[in-house]
Amino acid sequence: MTTNTTTFEARKAQLRAAFLAQLPEKTTASRAQLAEIAPGRVDPSRLEPLRRLFHTLKGSGASFGCADIAALAADAETKLRAAVEEQPVISEARLQELHQTLDALEHASVDTEAQTAGIAALSQPKRTVATKTAEGSYRRAPVAIVPTTGVGASNSDERDRLSDRQGDQQGQQDDQQGTLERLDKLIYLCDDDSAVAERLSDQLNCFGYQVKPFSGLAALEQALGERLPAALIMDIVFPEGEQAGTDAVRELARRDDVEVPCIFISARDDFAARLQAVKAGGSAYCSKPVKTTEIVELLDQLTHGQDPQPIHVMIIDDDPELAQWHALALEDAGMVTRVVTDPSQVLDQLDDFNADLVLMDIYMPQCSGPELAQVLRQIPGHVSLPIIYVSSETDIGLQHQALEVGADGFLTKPVEPERLVASVSLRAERMRTLHALMVRDSLTGLFNHNAIMQWLEVALAEAERDRRPLCFVMLDIDHFKSVNDNYGHPTGDQVLLALSRTLRLRLRSSDIVGRYGGEEFAVILRNVDTDEAWGLMDQLRIGFSQVVFTAGEDSFRCTFSAGVSSFPTFNAPEVLTEAADIALYQAKHAGRNRIQIAEPDAVADGKRGAA
Amino acid sequence: MRILIVDDDPLAGEMAVLILESAGHQCQRVENGIEALELLQDAHALELVVSDMNMPLVSGADLLAELRERGQRIPFILLTGDEPDVLAQQVSGADGVLRKDASLEETLPLLVARQAASR
Repeated sequence: MTTNTTTFEARKAQLRAAFLAQLPEKTTASRAQLAEIAPGRVDPSRLEPLRRLFHTLKGSGASFGCADIAALAADAETKLRAAVEEQPVISEARLQELHQTLDALEHASVDTEAQTAGIAALSQPKRTVATKTAEGSYRRAPVAIVPTTGVGASNSDERDRLSDRQGDQQGQQDDQQGTLERLDKLIYLCDDDSAVAERLSDQLNCFGYQVKPFSGLAALEQALGERLPAALIMDIVFPEGEQAGTDAVRELARRDDVEVPCIFISARDDFAARLQAVKAGGSAYCSKPVKTTEIVELLDQLTHGQDPQPIHVMIIDDDPELAQWHALALEDAGMVTRVVTDPSQVLDQLDDFNADLVLMDIYMPQCSGPELAQVLRQIPGHVSLPIIYVSSETDIGLQHQALEVGADGFLTKPVEPERLVASVSLRAERMRTLHALMVRDSLTGLFNHNAIMQWLEVALAEAERDRRPLCFVMLDIDHFKSVNDNYGHPTGDQVLLALSRTLRLRLRSSDIVGRYGGEEFAVILRNVDTDEAWGLMDQLRIGFSQVVFTAGEDSFRCTFSAGVSSFPTFNAPEVLTEAADIALYQAKHAGRNRIQIAEPDAVADGKRGAA
Repeated sequence: MRILIVDDDPLAGEMAVLILESAGHQCQRVENGIEALELLQDAHALELVVSDMNMPLVSGADLLAELRERGQRIPFILLTGDEPDVLAQQVSGADGVLRKDASLEETLPLLVARQAASR
C-alpha cells in the first residue's frame, strides 16, 4: 500500500458521511428493541444491545467530530447503566427518556449532515485532550527542601520537620486581606478512606510535596481555618453524603471568600459528580484509582503556573529578514527559535533542535511548504510536529494542498506579533500536553523507555555538534525481585519511587532521567566524561544504599548497580546502550552495588561506526 | 509498519485504518477477536495490533491476554470510548491505551511511531 496523504480529508469526510447516514438505521433498530421492553423488572441482557449502541456512538461520534452525538450517547449510556446497576427495574419515565434520546440522536445526525455537506472536505475535527495534564513533560519534579531520606516511616519525620521549618518562615495572617498566606508545597488531602489517604500522601511526599492527610471533613475545616495549603485534594463521597466533598469546598469558598485550587478524586465517574465538581470550582477531576503521576502533574500545574521550559520554534523561510523578524517576536515572548533559510537543511537541523512547532513560509522557491511538510510527515519522529504556515492571501491553492498534508494553522502576511505569539503558543502547548501523556512512565513520572531513547538521539547530536563528551548510564536495582516477593509490590513501588526521586533531585537539571523498564533506569549525563560520571553515580550509589525502607515491622536497604558508556568512545545511540548494558552486566557479575565503566572494545567490532 | 486493526464497528475501524495509512503504515482490518487471533498465528506478517476494547464475545483485553498467553509479544494498543487511564490500570501488558475521539488523529500515529522507533 502506498502513502496517500493527499486524500486523507476526503476519505475522512466519506467515512463521516457514512457514519451519519447509518445512524437512523441503527436508532430505528434500537427503537424496535426498546418498544418490546415494558416498565418494571427487566433482564439486563435485553438492554445490552442498546447500551452497546450508545457506547459505540460515544466513541465513533467523537472520532468523527460529531460532538453532539457523542455527548448524547455518553449521557444515555451513563443513565442506562445507572438504571440497571442497582436493581434490574426500569421505570416508565426512564423508557420515555431513552426513546427521546434516540429521537435526539436521529435529529443530530440529520442536522450534522446538513451542516457539513458543503464544508466536509475542509472540516477540521474538534480536538479534545484526553486528560488535563500539565504541559511540563520536560519539567522536573519540584525540589524538596530536605535531602532525600527514606520513604515509609521516615516520611512522617520529614513532614514534621518541614512543617516546623515552614511554620517559621510563614508570615502571620494577612489581616488586611483577610486571607491566609499559602505555602508552596503544603497540600491537604481529605478522604474518608484513611488507607487511601495515607498511601497517596506517602507517594506524593516522594515528589517533594508535603501532604497532610485528613480522614474527616471536620478535621479538614479546622486545618483550613489555621493555614491555607497550596492545593486541596478532595474526595467527593463521605459518610455525610454523596456530594459532601463538593459541598464542603463550595461552602468554604462562599464563607471565607478564599480560593484554594482543588483536585477532586472520586470513585464516582458519572456526569452529575463531575458537574458538581465543576460547580464547586474544582480545577481537576480524577477518578479512582488515581494515578500518583497524574496528581503530581496537576499539582505542579496548580502550584507553579509557568512552565520553565520555553517553547522551541523552528522558523523556515527563504527570506532571512522576515524569518528574523518572526524570530524576534517569538523570542520577545520568551520562546527559543532557530531560523533555517535553506529547506534542505531542515531535517539535519531538527535532529538537534527539539522543536515543539515549525513555522514555515508556504511559498519557497526550492520547494513549497506543503512539499516540505510531506517530507517531514514521512519521518516517524515528526509525524505529529505541529506546522503553522505563513502565507499571503493569494496562495489559496497552496493552502488547500497544505491542509491535505496536515496543517495546524495559517497566518496571513503581514503577521502581527500578537497573533503570531498566540497561534504558536496555543498549538505548542496542546502538543506538549499530548506528548506528556505519552512519554511519561506511569509510576515514577520519569521519561519512559521510548522517550529516553529519543532524548539520547537529541543529546548525542548536540554532543557531536558541540564536540563535548556525554555519558549514558544504565542502573538496575539489586535483587529487586526479592523485595517484591518478600514485602509485596506496593513496597517495591516505594523503592522505585525513592530511586527515581534520588536521581531527579541529585542530578543536574540538564541531565535526563528515565525509567528504562522494570527496575531499570537510564540517565543521560551531558558534558560529563567517564571519570566525572563515575564520581557522580558512585555518590548516588552510596546515598541510595543508606536509605532505610520500611514494610510493616521490617526494615531493609537496597542497592543498585550501574554501567556507564560514553561518547565519543561510542558514537551511536544503539552502541551506547549496548555498551552500558554490558558494563551493567559486568557490575552485577562482579558482586553488585558498584558502578562499571564500559571498556572501549566492549561492543562487538564493526558496530562502532554505525553513526 | 504492518498493523492489524480490530474493531467490531467497521466505520470506526476504517477510521483507524485511514489515520494509520496516512502516516505511511500498512493496515489490515478485522471485526472480531477470533479473526484477529487466526491472522496473528502467523505472527511474522504483522508487527502491531490496534484493537478496540469494547467488543462482543472477545474484548480487546481478552484478545491481549490470549496473545500473551500464547507467548506473542507483538505490541498492542487498546482504543476505548471510556477513560483510558482507568483502563490502563485494569489491563496489564498493553503498550498504550488511547481514547477514541477526535484526538486519535494525533495520538494514534504518534504512539505507533514510537513503537516503530523502539523496535
